[in-house]
Amino acid sequence: MAEAHFNANKIFITLFILTAVEVAWGSLVPYEMKPALWGGLLIFAFWKGILIFQYFMHMKFEGWIVKCLIAPTPILILIVYFALLPDVALNDDTLYQVGDQLDPENGEVVEIGKGSRNLVLHAGSEEDGGH
Amino acid sequence: MSKAVAAYDPAVDAPAHHHPIFDYDSGPPVDRGKFAIWLFLATEIMFFTGLIGTYLVLRTGAPSWPNPAERLAVDITAFNTFVLIVSSWTVVRALMAIQKGDQGGLVKWLGLSILLGAFFVGVQAYEYLELIKHGALPNQDLFWSTFYSMTGFHGLHVIVGVIWLIVLWIGAVRGKFSAENCVAIELGGLYWHFVDLVWVLLFTLVYLM
Repeated sequence: MAEAHFNANKIFITLFILTAVEVAWGSLVPYEMKPALWGGLLIFAFWKGILIFQYFMHMKFEGWIVKCLIAPTPILILIVYFALLPDVALNDDTLYQVGDQLDPENGEVVEIGKGSRNLVLHAGSEEDGGH
Repeated sequence: MSKAVAAYDPAVDAPAHHHPIFDYDSGPPVDRGKFAIWLFLATEIMFFTGLIGTYLVLRTGAPSWPNPAERLAVDITAFNTFVLIVSSWTVVRALMAIQKGDQGGLVKWLGLSILLGAFFVGVQAYEYLELIKHGALPNQDLFWSTFYSMTGFHGLHVIVGVIWLIVLWIGAVRGKFSAENCVAIELGGLYWHFVDLVWVLLFTLVYLM
């Protein structure tokens, strides 16, 4: 077992303060200022995540076997997110937007904002009425 | 008869158990339980990576996305996040207690962790009931479907974690653990901290961003 020499109370208080600051950041920064809002929130979230991972999960004090065991995971995460990047960055060029729906009656695509949501709700209410 | 054949003694030359006896352990130089739990956690990380990745694609692909603060009770969930962080700390204290041979401390800190974990699940269940009462169902729109998927799967993990802690607590009450035999507490703790870590990210992504 890894011998963990760290001050758990200190880590706990740091996590506590970071959460308070994060919530304040999320409340005070306007929702429209996305770069500032998202940037700040992600910094706080990753900071807290690293503290939990390194100290509470003892990764800082583990040997090379355990570190090697978990090392492929961040690489795989990066691969997954790089693979998803085109879907994020090129969504203006996609044929259909997220939220578009297929009308089952005539087989046409109803765009979001032009009644696609009503289509789903309408279909749901028809089903309810049928029972 | 040759001398060699005459000297042949089955009891010595062909013993029933003649497996080679090595003076080393052929396994990895780490506790097997810890090896297994980290492998398991790696798969869990990839599971939540998939969920969060899907959320990001759907969210950035949607023409508009509502401000979570207008739909969710962020203040209550922020308090719940504090509760989960406190429970992680109490699990650390439980492990520290048993590493010093303090069985009473282990029972106390594990018990507190269970209560905090159960409180977290209770608040989440209450939140779901209130949302459903107001018509916020997973099939309403993308916001709600992603919300229920991510927080629901996390909630299931918390429930599993609480059950795991209860099993450990029963063992602790029976005096099963000691300073020399406390790997099981460490493994349960690792899972619990992982659940806490995932929540730290989900809370930010779903409730604050």
